[in-house]
Amino acid sequence: MKLDFKDIQGLVVSSYKHLPWAAFLLLRIKTAAGARSWLSLHLPEITTSEGRKSEGSINIAFTGTGLKNLGLKDYICASFSTPFQEGMTTTHRTRILGDAGNNSPSHWAWGGPEKSVDVLLLMYAKDEDPLMTLLNAMRKHPTFLEAFDEVDLVRCERQPDNREHFGFRDGIGQPVMEGTGNKKRQLQRTHHATELPAGEFLLGYKNVYNVTADGPVVAEHDDPYNVLVPVGDEFTGLNKQQGMHYLGLNGTYLVLRQLSQDVAKFWQFVDAASRDENGNSNLRQRDELGAKLVGRWKGGAPLVLSPAENDPEMEEDNNFGYWTSDPMGWSCPVGSHIRRANPRDSLGPDPSTARDSANRHRILRRGRSYGPRIHNELVDDRVERGLIFIALNSDIERQFEFVQNTWLNNPVFAGLDGEVDPLVGNLPRGDCVFTIQRQPVRSRIHGLSQFVTVKGGAYFFLPSLKALKYLTTLESESNR
Amino acid sequence: MLHTVMTIVTPVKPAKLRELSEMLCEIGNAPEDNSYIPFRSFKRLHFASLVLDKGRARPECNPCLIFENNFDGPLETYLDELCERALPGLRSIYTHCEGFPSTEVISKGEMVSYLRARVVWPLAYHVGNTGRTVQRILDEQKLRDTMETQTDELVKNSNTQSANELRNSLQEFVRKQFPSMCSPVEPRQTSLEKAAPWIKIGLLGLLALVLVLIWWPWGNACFVLVVAYAVILRWKESKDTQLSVPVDAAKLKLLVENEDRTHSVQNHLANIAIMKPGWIRHITIVGVLWAINLLARAVYTQGKLGGIPSIHFAHWSLIDNGKRLLFLSNFDGSWESYLDDFIDKAHSGLTAVWSNTVDFPRTRFLVFGGATDGPRFKAFARDNQVVTNAWYSAYRDLTVQGINKNSNIRERLFKSLDERATRAWLQQL
Repeated sequence: MKLDFKDIQGLVVSSYKHLPWAAFLLLRIKTAAGARSWLSLHLPEITTSEGRKSEGSINIAFTGTGLKNLGLKDYICASFSTPFQEGMTTTHRTRILGDAGNNSPSHWAWGGPEKSVDVLLLMYAKDEDPLMTLLNAMRKHPTFLEAFDEVDLVRCERQPDNREHFGFRDGIGQPVMEGTGNKKRQLQRTHHATELPAGEFLLGYKNVYNVTADGPVVAEHDDPYNVLVPVGDEFTGLNKQQGMHYLGLNGTYLVLRQLSQDVAKFWQFVDAASRDENGNSNLRQRDELGAKLVGRWKGGAPLVLSPAENDPEMEEDNNFGYWTSDPMGWSCPVGSHIRRANPRDSLGPDPSTARDSANRHRILRRGRSYGPRIHNELVDDRVERGLIFIALNSDIERQFEFVQNTWLNNPVFAGLDGEVDPLVGNLPRGDCVFTIQRQPVRSRIHGLSQFVTVKGGAYFFLPSLKALKYLTTLESESNR
Repeated sequence: MLHTVMTIVTPVKPAKLRELSEMLCEIGNAPEDNSYIPFRSFKRLHFASLVLDKGRARPECNPCLIFENNFDGPLETYLDELCERALPGLRSIYTHCEGFPSTEVISKGEMVSYLRARVVWPLAYHVGNTGRTVQRILDEQKLRDTMETQTDELVKNSNTQSANELRNSLQEFVRKQFPSMCSPVEPRQTSLEKAAPWIKIGLLGLLALVLVLIWWPWGNACFVLVVAYAVILRWKESKDTQLSVPVDAAKLKLLVENEDRTHSVQNHLANIAIMKPGWIRHITIVGVLWAINLLARAVYTQGKLGGIPSIHFAHWSLIDNGKRLLFLSNFDGSWESYLDDFIDKAHSGLTAVWSNTVDFPRTRFLVFGGATDGPRFKAFARDNQVVTNAWYSAYRDLTVQGINKNSNIRERLFKSLDERATRAWLQQL
């Protein structure tokens, strides 16, 4: 299968690891005409999946309101998927995503009521200086000022290693998109690769059901310059309509959530829960409990393969399942973060059905840590830090929301009772527990509190280059 | 059979739709203790729902009220209790329906016979927790919770106990705390209940054998009929249309706002699909549902229906003189995960059922294709879904698997177990 790399934004095939500095600019559109002329001006700078830019990359995405405010007609907006149209903060979505209490959108820095965003600008660079130069030049330019109001800016600095702020190696398990050639690299690095059809992560391609991933369409007469590709017979999705042009092709949906991490609170809790009989801190037990909560040691070695301690040889290893090697959770607890986030072959009725079934709910993660690493993980330094969680998927309900709702936040996941993901779950009221399966009988950690708080979030559409060009050709108000 | 699964379907006077809808909304806001039917007071009731279907733009689809009841014991006892305790409330609800006596007062007996006459029995139903009464489910959860807390204590005080020592301590604890739970518990099903469906299957097999081997002319005739049926069905399938528009956004919004109210542990689904016309579709669905029902009684008695581990009570009925197929389900998890289970684990069975209804994704030979087109199947399911106006569950936080686990723990608590079985028993905690 061949992908049209020059039409696909770069973030789809790369997480830009070679560009350790990043800025995520969240904007609201002031005037449609202004935003469109800004977009035409910067269109040539948008990074595609073709080749690799060593100095810096720019990608751009829009929310549902963003597309409306850019002048996209109502019927076209209505051909996008429902979660994208409605946004992340409807009553129902708040419920299934666990955005209640401290996580509630009313507390968010951006994306909540009164703080809605239209446009997400993702900028990546090799160093801080070029990033700031680029960012500031852009923000001061008159076309920018005419087009946008800034809602928020999140900057991600270079991190000392591949670990997130709690101290665990991150980003090991990722599915591979068919057609990108990433499979071989993934196999070499982690000894395992799950290759999924392109339609899981790109609109307009065949997905895991072997039908076209549905995307938005435009009537022929609304695309007078024929910027977009006509919908052909090869498209089998529900939105397939003859005579329409494909606005979604080579684009995808991007989920962004700003997750603030309270590192000291986490390790203080783990420390208190792992002390020896005399009430003294025990570093070994603390590390072990941390690993049990996550499912990997800090260094990255998975508990299934390396149950006793972190095996440095296995720090990036991803070649394991649960069904045969750890069905009871004696090595990697059933409710641990990585087992919830991807249950692999563990959920039954048999390992291969379970694995196929789990692979219908995968996402491409493109997140980054923000804020400086904590100096002493047991001492609260009151510095804001966390993760900019980014997921790419073609079906927000079946992929991102499913993982969040049916796996991470599910109090009865895999036969557990009344507990949620120990790291990112939205804890129910009352005593929150975490079960560690052991022989002869399990032990339970009581009194978990919330270590991660949602600070912002939205659903975006990451358009193809053609679609971006199409957006610049829209006309104002006239025939809306 | 311990459980009774049934619905009461009544046509609604079109002028009264709005009033009734408001009343149901009131019940829906407080299903346990509303002033019409205080469901919590019915100790035998597992699940109940009230669905007001406003009909469609088709003359044969009149608005109707669907009152779903899944309970322990026989129909008569339940109806009697229902009308005894909720007579005024039932009267207020059913005055909005056709055929209800217009007199000011109504006796309990009249109410019972009004409802009794409108009972619709499902063509197929599934029960996740075979043989467990509401009371037993609640008692066993309480037992389990207490045992879990006690286990925490045991583990805290010493982490060097053997499996046997742990089990003995727990037994001793339960003897003290729950003397009533110490006597042996009745089996989930009697031997006769277990055997009956298999005897049916056996007899059928025998009949088939007799047809083929002994009365071969009859066997040949049957064979010809089956081939003819397959040809006609395939020809009809090739001409069927499938859903080709996304679901109406406003409708979807109404549906989802009603979902996941219990932290996603349980949900309710009401789906009314329109049957494809013609007798061949009719006999197909009756046959398929008959077979599913037989399998549900014989094979799927351990908590899973065709690999789906999350269904408490689900049932299919034909309503409107066989013009529409009603499906009601009380299940664990989100709609999205339920439908994915359908697609991943039970697509042939459900394709055989719903391919007889309008708009279903294209099929081949009844069971192929269809629901394997996941996105279109989900759109079909949403399109035919109706809002559940009021829904009651006697144990909102419990799952089918959780209830089974509780029963397993309790049933083996005082049984004599060997070392291996003791270890397995402890792992259920």
